[in-house]
Formats: sequence, C-alpha cells, structure tokens
Amino acid sequence: MEAYLSVLTFALISVVSVCGIYVLTGLTGMFSLGQAAFMAIGAYISGMLVVRLNMPFALAAIIAVAGSMLIGFIVGLPTVRLRRDYISLVTLGFGEAITALLNQSVQVTGGAMGFSGIPQKTNFTLVVVSVIVSVALVGFLKVSKYGRQCIALKSDELAAKAMGINVPRMKMIAFLISVGMTAYSGVLYAFYTTYVDPSMFGWRKSAEWVIMVFFGGVNSLTGSIVATLILSALPEMLRFASEYRMFFYSVLVLLIINFKPSGLFGEFELSPSHISKLFKRGHKNGAVNVAASGKDQ
Amino acid sequence: MSPQIIVNGIALGSVYALIAVGFALIFNILKFSNFAHGSLMTASAFIGYIFAIKTKLGLFPVIIVSMLAGGLLGVLGEFLAFRRLVNRKASSIYYFVSSITLGSLYEAVVTIAAGPNFYNYPRFFHKLVISIGSIVISRSDAIMFVTSWIVLGLLVLMLSKTRVGRGIRAVSFDADTASMMGINVVRHIQLAFFLSGALGGLSGVFLGINYTLYPQLGNLVTKGFIASVIGGLGSMSGAVIGAVLLGVIETLLINFIGSGYAPVFTFLIMLVFLLVHPQGIAGSNVQEKA
Repeated sequence: MEAYLSVLTFALISVVSVCGIYVLTGLTGMFSLGQAAFMAIGAYISGMLVVRLNMPFALAAIIAVAGSMLIGFIVGLPTVRLRRDYISLVTLGFGEAITALLNQSVQVTGGAMGFSGIPQKTNFTLVVVSVIVSVALVGFLKVSKYGRQCIALKSDELAAKAMGINVPRMKMIAFLISVGMTAYSGVLYAFYTTYVDPSMFGWRKSAEWVIMVFFGGVNSLTGSIVATLILSALPEMLRFASEYRMFFYSVLVLLIINFKPSGLFGEFELSPSHISKLFKRGHKNGAVNVAASGKDQ
Repeated sequence: MSPQIIVNGIALGSVYALIAVGFALIFNILKFSNFAHGSLMTASAFIGYIFAIKTKLGLFPVIIVSMLAGGLLGVLGEFLAFRRLVNRKASSIYYFVSSITLGSLYEAVVTIAAGPNFYNYPRFFHKLVISIGSIVISRSDAIMFVTSWIVLGLLVLMLSKTRVGRGIRAVSFDADTASMMGINVVRHIQLAFFLSGALGGLSGVFLGINYTLYPQLGNLVTKGFIASVIGGLGSMSGAVIGAVLLGVIETLLINFIGSGYAPVFTFLIMLVFLLVHPQGIAGSNVQEKA
C-alpha cells in the first residue's frame, strides 16, 4: 500500500508540472527543453532556504517560485519576440547551464553528489490539494480571455497580431505561468524525496513531459493529465522493463503523432456538465458531444 | 591569448560547424529544429566504433562507414517520423515533437545495445602531435580540421553547382512551387536528410575520438544549436562562423575559468547575443510564415 501511495504521489507531482507544460505547449504552442531546470531551481532554492536558513516551508516555497519566475523572465525576454524555435533552443542551453552550475558549486549545492537532508514536508494531502488547484487554474485559464488569446497565437501568430493581441506579452505570460508551476512541482518533489541531484533534471525530463502532453492530446487538458498519470505510474509498475521504457514511449508517441495527431483525447475536455450527463444515461447521446465541443471554443 | 588556444579553438569549432550545418540543412528544408540530430550522431558513431573494432581498419574507412550509417539513419528517420507530417502539411509543433521522440528512440536503441558504458575508439595514429614552430597541434585535431573543411567545401559546391543541390535549395525556398516545376520534393527532402545525417555521422566520430563514446554523447549537439543561434537560424555560412567563434570562445573559457563553468558562460553569451542582435551574424532572421 505504501509503495502504491508513493507511486501515486510522484505521478501527481508530475501532473503539476505537466499542467505548466500544458499552458506553454498546449495553449501557446511553445516548447521548453529546459523546463526540468526550472524544477531544479525550485527544488534547490526552497531546499536550501529551509535547510540552511531554517525558513518556514511555505515562505521558502513562495520565494523559490518567485525566484524561478524571475530567472524565467530573463531567459524568456530575448526569445518571446522571435520565432518559436528560439525558445526551445535557448531553454535547452539554459538547462545545460543550470546542470553545469549545480554540478560545479559543490560548496553550496553538494555538486554531483546531490543535496540531501531536506525535511519531508510534502504529504499526500498537500499534493492532492496542489493538483486540484493547478488543474483548476489551468482549466479556467484555458477558457479565459488570456487562454483564448494564447490559442489564437498558437495557430497563427501573424493573424493573432493583426487582431490586436500583444503576442510577445502573451508568450511571456504563458512562459512565466508554466515556469512557476514547474518550480512549484520541484518544491513538492524535493520535500517529498528529501534528496535532489543535478542529473534528475536533464533535458530528457523536459522532453518526457512534452511527450506526455502530446500523448494525451495537445488540445486537451484532461488528456494530458490522464496521459501523465498513465505514463508516469506505468514504468514504476513495470520496473523489470526499465531499459525498454524509453523505447516503448518513443514508438508509442511516434505512432500517435503519425496516425492520430490530436492525441488520445483529441479536443475532449471533462467538464462538470459532462459528468452529470454521464450519470444520466438515457439522455440523448449527442448532448455529451455538444457540451464537449462547445466547451472548447 | 596565445596562438595555441586559437588553433585548438578553431579545430573544435570546425566539428561544431559540422553539427550546425547538418542542423541548418534540415531547418532550411522543413523549417523546424531537428532535435534528433544529437542521437543520430551518437548512433552512427557507435556503428563506426563497432566497424573499427571488428575490422581493425584505419580512421578513414571508419569515417566513411559512419557517414554512410548516419545518412541512412537520417533517411530512415525521415520516413518514420516526418514523411506523414510533410504529406499532411502539419504545423511545426508536430515536427518538433516527432524529432524529439525520434531522438529518444535512437538513444534508447543505443542504450539497449551498448549499455550505459563508456567506450574508446582504438588509437588510429602512432605519432600523436604535429608541431609547427611553437604551436603544437594534436594529430586528431589536425585531421578533424582538414576533413571538416573539405567536407563542408564539397557540400557548398554541391549545393551551389549541381542539379540536385539547386533542387534542394529550390525546395527549401518554396516546396509547392518547386514541385510545380517538376522537382520531386520527397526525393530532395530525403537527400537533405541523407546529407545532414552524413555530417552528423562525421561529427559523431570526431566527438567520440575527442572525448569518449557513450549513449549521451549526443548532448554535445547543444553546441551546434548554440552555434546556429549565434550565426542566425537557418543560415549555412552563419552556422559555420558561429561554430568557429563558439569553439574559440569555449577553448578560451576552458583555459581561463575551467571546463565546468564553460556551459554557463556560453549560454550567457548566446542570451546576450539574442538580446542585442537577434538575427544572428548572418542576419537572415527566419520569420514565422503565416
């Protein structure tokens, strides 16, 4: 039971970061290959504040998220005005730089040996509450004015600009939201495992998150979350096949991109009206689809 | 700043140039950043390594085998990951995810086949260094430098003078119009992937000789990416200039502050470059097409 709970906790922490990735990739169409580095920043800053300065956990978490958003602002500043390829390339370089920095500053961070001795403050309740809050946040963002602006610029930046959307500003906002959420998941992670080391936060990790979002459906938050739960819990259950894990992931996602590009869930979103429809069988079947497609506009 | 450092930097930069040009070839023709390039480098370097161990031949046969392997892997990757996207005229984010996934696939196959171990290429030369006056050049650096520039020169000749080279440029410029002019677009895309893969194979072997061979060797592709950002995304000459510049800067940094912090500073240089001069050295800033 204990083991299952821990698998579930890790999967839920991933859901928090994937919610952030969804804002960036699903809504805005940008890719960050340094997102895991922001997770590392959140984890290290909060961990060090608590361990070295005896700061209360909540305050340390807030400072860590704010600090990583500040760094995200500096990284994002030159890229939001340019073609979207730049943000992937720049964040990739950023991830390498952060890993190098963490490995080098041995006195401060423990270097490649990792940073240990973080007290365990994250419990299952906190993780569940965090997941609910972040899913709700992203869900509301998606249907808000900002979310619709993001979706507009994702499909055509030029047309979005012509409609009066401030494209660089929207890209920056989306990037910062996603950085903040990823950093927060880093805080949760560090205070759950009580130990972090730089090798956990390479660009493979960021790529894995992007893959999860695409697996579930890049236009569907529900799909991304379900995909995250499946893809992050499954390998823990199948420990014996760990070598083949990435292989299966890759083949699966290549198949999805080539043959069902909208992902497992397409445009489907789970909404409250939807759930009540589901329980009232005997209703017109079409009503469900109408609710789903109406929700996405 | 001694001439020795500059020479070493240029030798390193010419390998980065191979990576950056291989990346730019694909960027030009399909307008996306090919993140599978790094793992392709690793995979073809491993094939070259196996060939070297099995046959005990010298460096040049190994290079040719690796280049061929890289080229074929490139064509295979195009077929597996991008052909359907081209046919569907998919938006660039799909290319992006497809290339990342393809990269993971190559890397996973290499890891399964080779394990997470480190390998060393057999020693190809007896005399390790060449000295000219006070400058000492290691034999592998010299060969790296000469081979890289010969290959890049041949590539430029091919792209500018031959029929297929003009075809590739036409498809890069506008695939629809090119196809109306009777150019077989798919064939030329395949050819571009072959060339890019061959360059990747060559740079993989050189990186393997310079460092060691391991499944994550492909992460060094970041250098090529940084070089093409500095040089201007999608520009060949810019990529080469950016790569040589990056090689020299990096060698200087390693010399003065140590290799550990070098990635941090190269990243900061890239960031400052983008803030001040975002179109890169070559000045051809590719805008998102509607």
